[in-house]
Amino acid sequence: MSKQDSYKAPDFVPLPPKDADVLTTACDYCTVACGYKVYRWPVGKEGGAKAAQNALGADFPHQMMMNAWVSPAMHNVVTHKGKPHHVVVMPDKDATVVNVGGNHSIRGGTLAEKCYNPGNRTRERLQHPMLRVNGKLTPVSWDLATEVMADISKYIIAKYGEHAWGVKSHSYQYFENVYAITKLAMTTIGTPTFAWHDKCSATNDATGLDDAGIDSFASSYQDWSDCEVAFLSGVDPYETKTTLFTSHMMPGDKKFIFVTPHMTTGVAWSVKEGRGLWLSIIPGTDTVLHMALARIIIENNWQDQAFIDKWIAKPWEVDAGYGRGTRNTGWQWRTTWGTWQSDWEDYKKFILSQEESKLDVAAQITGLNADDIRKAAEWMAKPKADGSMPKTSFMCEKGNYWSNNYMNTTSFASLGLICGSGNRPGRMISRGGGHQRGGLSAGGGSGWLSPEKHPGRRKKDFNLDLWLMQGNMRFAWVIGTTWVAAMMGSNELERKMRELTVDNPHRITSLDRAEIFEALKKRVDSGGMVMANSDLYPVIPIGSELADIVFPVASWGEDNFTRCNSERRLRLYSKFYDAPGEAKPDWWIVQKFAQKMGFDKDGGYAWKDSNDVFEEAARFSRGGVLNYHPLATQAKEKGVKAQELLRTYGTTGIQTPIRVKEGKLVGTQRLHDPDNNWGEIEQAEVQIPALYAFNTHSGKAILLKSPWKYAGWIQFYEAVKPRAEKGEVWVTNGRVNETWQSGFDDLRKPYLSQRWPEAFIFIHPDDAGKKGIESGDYVEVVNDTVYIQTGQPQGVLDADLTFNQLMKDGHIKTTVGKFQAVAIVSNEMRPGVCKANFNFPKSPANAVVSAVPDPMTNNYRYKLGRGVLNKVGESPYKHGLTQMSLKPRNIV
Amino acid sequence: MSQKTIQIQSAPEHGHDHEHHHEGGRACMSRRSFLLSGGSFLALVGLGAVPGFAEAAQLLKAGYARQKIGSLSALKAGEPITFNYPYADVRNILVKLGVEAGGGIGPQKDIVAFNQQCTHMGGPLDGTYKPEHQVLGPCPLHLTTFDLTRHGMVASGHATESLPQIMLEVQGDDIYAVGVMGLVYGYSAMTTQRRA
Repeated sequence: MSKQDSYKAPDFVPLPPKDADVLTTACDYCTVACGYKVYRWPVGKEGGAKAAQNALGADFPHQMMMNAWVSPAMHNVVTHKGKPHHVVVMPDKDATVVNVGGNHSIRGGTLAEKCYNPGNRTRERLQHPMLRVNGKLTPVSWDLATEVMADISKYIIAKYGEHAWGVKSHSYQYFENVYAITKLAMTTIGTPTFAWHDKCSATNDATGLDDAGIDSFASSYQDWSDCEVAFLSGVDPYETKTTLFTSHMMPGDKKFIFVTPHMTTGVAWSVKEGRGLWLSIIPGTDTVLHMALARIIIENNWQDQAFIDKWIAKPWEVDAGYGRGTRNTGWQWRTTWGTWQSDWEDYKKFILSQEESKLDVAAQITGLNADDIRKAAEWMAKPKADGSMPKTSFMCEKGNYWSNNYMNTTSFASLGLICGSGNRPGRMISRGGGHQRGGLSAGGGSGWLSPEKHPGRRKKDFNLDLWLMQGNMRFAWVIGTTWVAAMMGSNELERKMRELTVDNPHRITSLDRAEIFEALKKRVDSGGMVMANSDLYPVIPIGSELADIVFPVASWGEDNFTRCNSERRLRLYSKFYDAPGEAKPDWWIVQKFAQKMGFDKDGGYAWKDSNDVFEEAARFSRGGVLNYHPLATQAKEKGVKAQELLRTYGTTGIQTPIRVKEGKLVGTQRLHDPDNNWGEIEQAEVQIPALYAFNTHSGKAILLKSPWKYAGWIQFYEAVKPRAEKGEVWVTNGRVNETWQSGFDDLRKPYLSQRWPEAFIFIHPDDAGKKGIESGDYVEVVNDTVYIQTGQPQGVLDADLTFNQLMKDGHIKTTVGKFQAVAIVSNEMRPGVCKANFNFPKSPANAVVSAVPDPMTNNYRYKLGRGVLNKVGESPYKHGLTQMSLKPRNIV
Repeated sequence: MSQKTIQIQSAPEHGHDHEHHHEGGRACMSRRSFLLSGGSFLALVGLGAVPGFAEAAQLLKAGYARQKIGSLSALKAGEPITFNYPYADVRNILVKLGVEAGGGIGPQKDIVAFNQQCTHMGGPLDGTYKPEHQVLGPCPLHLTTFDLTRHGMVASGHATESLPQIMLEVQGDDIYAVGVMGLVYGYSAMTTQRRA
């Protein structure tokens, strides 16, 4: 029996027999991480339809909704210990947390289909280390591949310095792997040339939350269940955090305020239910909305004064190093004294003095109806008849902080804080989350070597893309990310990479180690770059066309791994089948390379299994909110492996930071909550002030201002807005419920690949009509003015890193960006705003977004693309009846 | 609040003691009890059309029967009718979409039939047909919608399979159900003859 390439609507599925092996895991995809059970048994037998005859303990067929049912997509045949086995990967119907009762998304529900099976498109998995010889990827041994990489790495580091040796990596694909990667790059080699998959630099995500003293993942799912009003900024959790929304937020009579130009399913549903408000905002203007809401609240005296008096930092507490201590913190580097930080009285004065916070002005800038803004303020803050405040929680995600990284998040945090949210049940301020939390650093990193700085003496994070565009990188190791499609100005980024690698005349032409070294040496000495790529599949274009060295990676289900979700819930992701070919986990590849580099002399890279890495990494988690050190300590006392102790916690896991009470491990439901203050600490526990106070020097939150005309923002915004004279529209980007990231799995899963075989672009009928575009047409989006910063990493004078000054000084290059997608014409979009498929391999929507980072945070304004829409022709999906539904998402 | 949405309890976490609890106990219920428990689409379905549900395990047949389920002349575009097939407890709709559909029959190739149990977690899709979009749904449990022009593919939502499509044949004016493409929620096999 095999799974096939295309979807065939099977009409049976094998049931696990009574004696099937049962292992626990969690979903590999979105930040919610539903709990799953894996049933595994040898091919040749099957469970029966009676409850007593199968491992699910259920009678088939049955008529019970939300009961055990194996959908055919939950089944696959894999190899376990060299022998074929059936696996059923099912949401855990016994789950009491996260996906209570076995709820799941379409992504997680098709997890089984991601498992390697040569009978379907997972056969495209990378299986052997390869070198690009004469332009063709050629399988070689692990030894040769890592020796070639070590030879040229040693040469580059010795001749050009560690700055020339860089890593672009995922930050989340399990603690064990991220720890190994950071240990190698940041600690052992000590290069500052490092960026995570979703940023050009090692900077913050929701920076304003951090600066306010709010941990981005402070809340728990219980808080999203307990709040009475959810303010959802730049996010529809239905689409991107499925079971958080369907299990924890839909039930009850909660009200929803959605701020997004796209009426996705969750938005449409809440509006139809009479408890939703859709604020269909013009991209990038959230800051103004937040200030207008704050003004209404302040003018009506609806703020939570008791909370403000107790929990908002006073002037002297703010001035004590921006609330963070006096020197050398990211917060201080970002500080331009007086521009951002505030206290209650000053913030109030600021809000009441801003032109943009006036309701009519704000309505015009944001494109929203003034009555809707007023209604939102009433919902979130107007005291009830009994004088009590509504319980409002504030969620932001990339529509917010990827439009205007700093000010959207400072204004968002301040709005939440004056409503009295941030540290108590049902009243929290958090990110929704994108991927899961698997980041763990082996030490401080080498950011102090960054050549960048803010005006004044303050250090600024290292911008990897800029470094590459300037030709300063001689080696890049790309691990588990597309880089090109994920970053801005994608067309130009790819062109530059191509120029530095395969278009350089010096290429590998033999399998002789010494000859390879000579060729690559000439490459780097002539200004070129050597690239290595670790991934599951050939990544377009880095793995498939550019990289000299390609490593096959083993991941979910192919080794034992650990990770937290967006409520910091730590679980074991069990190994349950053999990785294909010679594929190895990242930690193993790092170790192999480190050994070839000669870094293992002190035994620092002598891990026997992933548990060794997990235990070694434990102590590096101690100071943070992902602290699991007490678990590792207790495992040691009990004489068991730390991963095995975690296995006993099943799909429930335990919420970090883990604490110890009367010798027992206790999880932490919510951060910043004063109820977490237990006084004395026990044993291995570490005192983390963010547990019971805000994450600042004083323990009080900091109100931050957000002057709309701040030059680092407004000049860029004016420059990248759609130009009416060119007929441009906003081309923002994102994903939909049925896809995950670049589609690396989705495009190979029989069911999901027929649902979304190509990239989408949602277009309002008004915009489509002008160009004669109909649903199912191929559309080319062109932005003839994509700005790319090409120099000036250092600011000296105040204006130096602002857009106009960069342009004047010749540090902005103007390029053309384009991509193609399939149109879905629907009134779910705000007119004048299109939404394209983010990070789709052959169709990078980021090609029309400018690569000029926010000078305050060195993070991009990812969502602010623009372009002209041109109909190219009809796609096969326009009239075809088997693939790619073109139906709107707001059908409720 | 519209009654079309079923409240699903998210079990409070262990040790949680806040006062804001939702009504619980509906994590698992039969479609029979759901239909009997209320919900506005009862009116749309009409209890008279609901046959006795088989509570015990269904004995599978060796293959699909051929069953007359309607006629071309009686079917009006956008007005679905329901029928049970291939077993007494498997409820389906027969609908003339008005636009060509995958697997559609009739002169316009626009007549299709689908099972009405959501392939996510078995929610009832009865009465949710949206004629202007040729979509079935949203499911009252978690809002999945299905595109009936494309073999019941998920348009938006969480189901991991298309809606099982009932294969149809026309003989004169009569419409016959002749098989099922896909696995109905709650079943592990549709017949004793298996088709992967």
